[in-house]
Amino acid sequence: MTHIHNSEKKTLKLAQLRPAPSFVVADKVGVTYPVRGNIAQGIDTQSTPRMIRDVRGRLRGVRAISDVSFTLNEGNRLAIVGENGSGKTTLLQVLAGILKPEVGTLRVRGRITSLININLGTQIEATGHRNITLRGLAAGYTHDEIEAKREEIAEFSELGEFLSMPIETYSSGMRMRLVFSIATAFTPEILVLDEWLSAGDVSFKEKATRRMIEFVEKAGILILASHSRKLILDNCEICLWLEQGVVRAMGPVLEIVNAYEADQRAKKTNPDAPATLLRGAN
Amino acid sequence: MADAVYVSIGGRSDPLVGLKDLFQGLSKVQLWLAFAADEVQQRYRRSRLGLAWIVVSYVIFVAAISIMFGGFSQKGASEFTAHIAVNYAFFSFLIANITDGCAVFRTSKNWVGSMPLPHSIYVLKSVARSLFVLGITMIVGIGVLLATGHMMTPISFMALPAFLIILLNAVLLQTYLGYLTARFRDFEHLMLSLTRVLFFVTPILWVRTEMPEGSLRRIIADVNPLTHALEILSAPLLGHAADPLSWKVISIITVVNIAMMLIASYLAHRRLPYWL
Repeated sequence: MTHIHNSEKKTLKLAQLRPAPSFVVADKVGVTYPVRGNIAQGIDTQSTPRMIRDVRGRLRGVRAISDVSFTLNEGNRLAIVGENGSGKTTLLQVLAGILKPEVGTLRVRGRITSLININLGTQIEATGHRNITLRGLAAGYTHDEIEAKREEIAEFSELGEFLSMPIETYSSGMRMRLVFSIATAFTPEILVLDEWLSAGDVSFKEKATRRMIEFVEKAGILILASHSRKLILDNCEICLWLEQGVVRAMGPVLEIVNAYEADQRAKKTNPDAPATLLRGAN
Repeated sequence: MADAVYVSIGGRSDPLVGLKDLFQGLSKVQLWLAFAADEVQQRYRRSRLGLAWIVVSYVIFVAAISIMFGGFSQKGASEFTAHIAVNYAFFSFLIANITDGCAVFRTSKNWVGSMPLPHSIYVLKSVARSLFVLGITMIVGIGVLLATGHMMTPISFMALPAFLIILLNAVLLQTYLGYLTARFRDFEHLMLSLTRVLFFVTPILWVRTEMPEGSLRRIIADVNPLTHALEILSAPLLGHAADPLSWKVISIITVVNIAMMLIASYLAHRRLPYWL
C-alpha cells in the first residue's frame, strides 16, 4: 500500500517538473452580446450583418465574433490585429476564460494570465502592495509564494514608495506597470495581453518586450492584441486579422501585418468603398 | 492545475455548475477572506472610531428600542432588552444577506470581467463580511444576555446547528439573489423596498407569542420566514427550546434554497459576464 503510494508521489513529482504541453484550440468560436431594452434607431438604419434584430426590427444582439478557429501550441506567439470594434478584446476575453463562447468549442491547457482591461481586476482603494497580494491570491498562489515574489515585482514595476499608496492615485502608465509586473512575475504558461501595454513609456515597453521574449523562450504561449506594428513584430510570429468579428486572414506575422496596413491605407484613400470591394482588390 | 484542460463548449451548461462553483470557491478561502477583510476596512477607512461604529450603532439601537418599546411588552424590562439585543443582531445579519446578496455580482463586475474566478468567491466574501459584523455585535449581545441573567445552559448550544443551517442558507440565497439582480436590475430595488417593511412584520419590536392566536400580527409573523430563522437562532440563547414548527419551516426553506441556487446557477452561470 505504502509502496504504491510512494510511486504515485514520484510520478506526481515528475509531472510537476515536466508539465504537460500547453495548447489553445479554438473551434468555430462565436460570441453574441445580448442587447436589452429598446435602443432608439439611429440615423443610420442600414445595419451590418453583425446586428441581430427581431421581427419588429429592434436590436436584440451584436455578433461580436463568429466562426473563429485556430490552434496554438507551446512557444507560439500570436498577434491579433483589426480595427476598433472588430472583436479583438472579445476574443481575448473568451481565450482567457472570462466569457464563455455562445457557439463553438474552446480547449485550453496551461495556466492562463490575462491582462485585458487595465481598469479591471484591481481594488483601486487598496495600496499597490495589497493589490499584489490580491491578484496573487486570485491567480491561485499562497501567501508564501506571493511574498517570495514581492520584491521582484516591486523592482520590475519601478514603483518604489508608490506601492504603499492606493492605486487610485496612480497614473494609467503606473497601473499598467504594476499589473504587468504582477502578471508576469508568476510565470504563466499562457499570457493574454490587450493593447494597453502601449500605455507604458519607451523604456518600460522595451523592458516588457524583453520579459515577454524570456517568457516565450520558456515555451509559453503569448496572445497579444495590438495596433503597434513594432510591438507585434518584436513579440509575435503569427498573426490573426479580425474583421467585423470574423477571421479575415491568419499567417506569418509580417505578411499579415503588411496586408492589414495596406488595407487600412486603401480605406483611408477611399473611405466610401464597401468592404467587399476592398476585399476583392486585395 | 496546470495539467487540467479547460474546455468550454458553446451554449452548454453543466447541471451541477452551482455546486462545483461553490466547492471551487470554498477552496480559495484565503482569497475571499482577503476580499472580505478589505471591504470591511474600506467601509471604515478614515473614520476615527473605525470598526467600533459597528458596536456603537448596535448599542444605540438596542438601548433606544428597549426604552421606547419596553413598556408595550408583557416581558419585564430586562427580558425585553435581551429579546431585542439577540433578535436585532440576528435580524441585521439576515437582512444584510438579502441586500448584499442582490448586489453581490453587480458590485464585483470589476473582477468578474477580468479573471475567470468561481462566482462563489464573491458570495463567500459577502457572507464572510456580514458574519464579521454579526460576530462583533454578538460579543455585545452576549454581554447583554449575561447582564440580564441569561446564563449558558445546555439548551444554548442548540443555537450552533441553527446558526450553521442559516449560514448555509445565506450562501445559497446570496448566490441566486445575485444572479437574479444581475439579469433583472429592478429586482434589487424591489428587495430594498421589501426589507424596510420586513423590519416591522418580523417580531423584533414585539413578541410573537404575546399576540393572540389568529390575530393579524400573529398570522403575519407565522408566514414570515424570518420569524422562524430568528426563532431557531434566538430561542436557545434566551434559554428555551425553539418552536419545532420553526425548525420544520427552516428545513423546507433550505431545500427550496438549494433547488433555487442550482437552477439559477445552471441558467445564469455562463451568462453572468454578459449581464454585468
